[in-house]
Parts: sequence; structure tokens; C-alpha cells
Amino acid sequence: MISLTSPIRTRAHSWPAGLKLAGLCLSTVVLFFIKDLTAQVAIATVVATLYALPGRAFLAAGWRHLRGFWFFVLIVAIYHTAVGEIYEGAVILLRLLSAIALANLVTMTTKLTDMIKVVRFLAKPLTIFGLSSKILELSIALVIRLTPVLVEKGSLLSQSWRARSRRKTSWRIILPFTILALDDADYVAEALKARGGFTLLKEN
Amino acid sequence: MIQAPIHSDTTQEIGNDVDLAAVSFDVDGQQILHDITFKTNAARVGIVGRNGSGKSTLARILAGLITPTSGVVRVNGHNLAKDRRAALAEVGILFQNPDHQIIFPTVIEELSFGLTQTGQSDPDAAGMAQETLNQFNKSHWRDANISTLSQGQKHLVCLMSVVAMAPKLLILDEPFAGLDIPTKTQLNRYLSHYSGSLLHITHDPADLQSYDHLIWLDQGAVQETGPCDQLLKSYQEKMNLIGGQDDISDLSD
Amino acid sequence: MEKNVALIALFAALIAALGLIPKITLLSGIPITAQSMGIMLCGTVLGAKRGSLAVVLFLVLVAIGLPLLAGGRGGLGVFTTPWAGFLFGFPIAAFVTGLIVEKWRGPNLSVIAITASIIGGIGALYLVAVPYYMVMKPAGLSEALLTAMAPFMPGDLIKAVIAGLVTGALYKARPASVLSRANDS
Repeated sequence: MISLTSPIRTRAHSWPAGLKLAGLCLSTVVLFFIKDLTAQVAIATVVATLYALPGRAFLAAGWRHLRGFWFFVLIVAIYHTAVGEIYEGAVILLRLLSAIALANLVTMTTKLTDMIKVVRFLAKPLTIFGLSSKILELSIALVIRLTPVLVEKGSLLSQSWRARSRRKTSWRIILPFTILALDDADYVAEALKARGGFTLLKEN
Repeated sequence: MIQAPIHSDTTQEIGNDVDLAAVSFDVDGQQILHDITFKTNAARVGIVGRNGSGKSTLARILAGLITPTSGVVRVNGHNLAKDRRAALAEVGILFQNPDHQIIFPTVIEELSFGLTQTGQSDPDAAGMAQETLNQFNKSHWRDANISTLSQGQKHLVCLMSVVAMAPKLLILDEPFAGLDIPTKTQLNRYLSHYSGSLLHITHDPADLQSYDHLIWLDQGAVQETGPCDQLLKSYQEKMNLIGGQDDISDLSD
Repeated sequence: MEKNVALIALFAALIAALGLIPKITLLSGIPITAQSMGIMLCGTVLGAKRGSLAVVLFLVLVAIGLPLLAGGRGGLGVFTTPWAGFLFGFPIAAFVTGLIVEKWRGPNLSVIAITASIIGGIGALYLVAVPYYMVMKPAGLSEALLTAMAPFMPGDLIKAVIAGLVTGALYKARPASVLSRANDS
């Protein structure tokens, strides 16, 4: 499963993930309090420039990602036009888009492994509650490994439906799908135990 | 609706016209099938090839579940990818793994499903499903819970579900892989009584004893086609030859 | 222990898979997908604790940059919108749903699971998501109800019913798999 990190290397790729995240949090908070339209336009332009700096492909990828939020943008635009609050609507929309874009910039310039390191760091205080960071990382790896497998099985069930029906698929496949997930959990647990299980993990 | 008899004493098997012309299929830049052309109306057709030769994709194209990127596929004159209504009457397909195929929790529901989809009312569909169970001497399986069945029994449920719809051509995509010998023999016996035609995809030559016509796929293209018994021998020889080599080391990128 | 981790991981993958299999996605972008059904199923099948952990794990994976949200979305961007309240509410929804199924030991699991999915998967979820939207957008209550709740509510009701029916059918087929009803949960 491919992460959303951009293969186009930028300078930001080598900056520490923790710093980028902290910077993102700060800018999102600051953004929230800026209610002036001109300022928001300026900020949005800066953000767009940041996307343009690494080249056309990077900008295109960023734009594609932003496009995924069109529904939300539409709802806000329609509402604010309908109630006649166009200025506020514009400020809110620009702020929304800038925030999403800045956050995605961090995602696009940070490797998965670096993000996991941050998760490990943030999870440290939770060891009091019995959470082992090793188990957390294992769980992350498991989901990455298993999601495509489940998607494949779901497609097969859809095909089985489609082979006997005029419709493409149906909610009915969710039952066998859930059963497959439950069975896979059994096999995975077995495989984990066979390779030492968590007792060994904890000892290491 | 024509109910194809399952246990016919005179094995009067009817062939169906399967016609592929320059069929290709690629996805994500990878070419899975390349320029497949063959025509047959034999009652028992086998398709062999190594794993990864494109057999499963071909099966799905023949069933109309996938549209080829180029080329024309016709079964009895129909384009099954476009004409799904004809598809349900002409073709049935049995997949490899019953766990990725059975949708409903009880046997009778699973068998009735396809029948309701072809327009039968619920009670009619249940009636026809029960008839199929009777024909297989499994009337006592009616309310059985799928989770309680063995692997071989699940395979049989899949077979019955498709047979209940009485398609003229039954496509089998390695349907009995991984089963023990007696189970496989029993299932093949049920299959041999099918009076429609069979198109059996497998990598195991033993499944194709006394089949009429064979198509040998290699790396997405037709290696050879011909009378089954003869071609099967050359196929087996070639497979033994490759077995003596080490292409398992090659990475696909 | 391994079993719990495996279940949590698999159900996190299930939520992801339900978003990736093109099902009830109307147009890619309109988040009417089967994914929120996965959230409800985590609760009804795994119970409150494991169910909510599965959802948290799913969110962690989205945050670190995997495109697991319906429509192939993911990364940190989705957490910056006023609708992020839904994301933060998902684990709570699963928890409440699971709790109801665990505690309410009635005869008809389908009905209980449907009710639990509505109370948890919709009620609890919107109780988090709507105030979050009001603070973060910002918006008044009527606007929030109109733009953050109304578009999604009808779909969510259908999904709650399906999740409940699936849970009931699962219990009939394999009672041992419905861990929310296991006696040691």
C-alpha cells in the first residue's frame, strides 16, 4: 500500500518530522484567528507557491489531493451564498483550503518511517496504560500488510455477486466479508504465536 | 427456463460456441493477456497454463465479468460483458475459493440467490433451488449453516449454486484446488454429469482426462491449441522441463 | 493477546477496505460510503474496547499518511477540517455502540445491534462532530445541523440498519465470532 509521501524529493523531506508537525499545529492555530480576507488570500498564495516550488508534478499531486474535498467546499459555498455571508464564507473557505494544503504538505514531504517514529514518541507516555510501542508498530505494519488482502477478497466477493446478478455489488457481501476478516485474524494470531508472540517481543 | 438435467444417462453433452478474436487485456500498464484468438464449440474444453499465465483473467473475460481492453469475445454470439442478462443464462462461473465466493449464511439462500436475480419470485427460486439439492441428493442440506460445512462441501455448494441457474456453459476456474483426492474425485464425478458444456481452467492435467479440446496459455498468450489428450502430453513434458530449471528465482519487476 | 492485536488490526483493515472497495461511493468525494459501517461493525462485533482501539489504529494510519479514507484520502489534511470531529468521534461511536451490544443482553441481536449502531454510530458521533464543527468552522447550531449533519444522516441510518442486520446474521452463523457477546468480554 502506497503512502501519500511524494516521490519528488524536496528540501522539506529531510527536515525532522516532529518540527514539521509542530510548525503545522502552530500555523493551523494562527490561521484560525485570521479573519481578514486579504490576509487569507495572501496566505493561500504563499501556500500555493510552496507547492509550486518543487515543480509541476508536485503541484499537480497537491491539487489532486485538494480536489478530493470538493464536496465540503461546495456545502460551505452554497450555505454562505444562501445566507448572504459571502465575505465570511470566502475567509472560511480560504482558511479551510490553506489548512488542508499545509497539512498535506507535511504528509507529502514526510516518509512513513519518520511519521511512525513520531507516533512512537507520542505513544511513550501511554506505556503507563500498558501500551507497548513495539506492539503499536507491529499493528501498524499488520494493517498495511492486510488491507490490500482484504480489498482483494472483497473484490472477489463482489465478482461472485456480479457473476449471478445484474447489479455490480450489494451490501450483502459484508457478512461473508466480515467472516473473512475474523478468520484472517485467527491465522494472523497463529502466525504471530508461531514466531514467538508477544512474550518474546516484550523481552526484547 | 430450461432446466439442464444433471444426471443424464446418455452423456449428451452440448457444445457452445466460444469465439475470441485478438483479445487483449491490460491493467495498470501491465499486459495480462495478449492477442488471444481461438474458437471452439467442444463440450469439454480445458485451459492449462502455469500460475500467472492469465488463465483466471481469461475465465473472467469469458464470463463477461471483465471487459477486454481490445478484441471481441462472443459466447453463442453474445457479448457477455455488455449483455449481462444473456450472461446469466449462457454462462456460469465457479471460482477457486468457496470462502471468497459464498455470500449467504445458509445453503438454500445461496442456491436461491442467482435464481431470484434472473427474475424468479422468491418462492419459485426456493423451489428450484430445492430441486437442485434433490438432484444432487442433498435435500437434507437445505437449512445447513455454511460455517458448519467442510471445504469439500462448500465447493459442492458453489457448484450447486451455479448449476441451479442451468447455464449452457460452465466455466471452472481451478475449482477444486487444494482438496484431498477422494473429495476431488467425488466433485469431478458430479461435474462429469453436467450436460451443458464445461470450460475447465487448471494447471493440473489430471483434471482434464477425456476432455475434447485444450488451450494452452503461456504468459498471457496462446501457446498452442488442439485435441486434449495429445496436447496434454506435450504440456506435461514442458512443465517437467521447466521444473528442472530455476525460474522461481526471477523477480517480476 | 496476539488474538486481540490480530482482531484489532484486521478490523482496522476492514474499515480501510470498506472505503476502498467501490461500493456505495456515489461520486468519489461524496463520503457516502460503507466505511462508517465498518466503524459500527467494530463496535457491534468486537465490543467497546477492542472496537474503539481498532478505530483508533485506523485513524493513526490515516494520520501517518495512508490513503485509507473513502475516496483515497488520508494524511494530516483531513484532520484540519471542521468535519474532523467525525474522525475524532469515530472511536467514541464504536465504543458506545460496543458498550450497548455488550450490556443489553436481549434475544434479538439484530434489533439490539441496529439500535446500538444508531445510538453510538449516529447519536454519539454527531454529539462529538456537530459541536466540533460549531467551534472549528465556526458556525451556529442551525448551520451545523444543515451542513454537518443533514447530508450524511440518511445514509448513516441505512448503514446502521445494515450493520445491525449483518451482526445479527453473523451471530446466527457463528455465535463465537461475535465477541461483544462472549461471556468473558
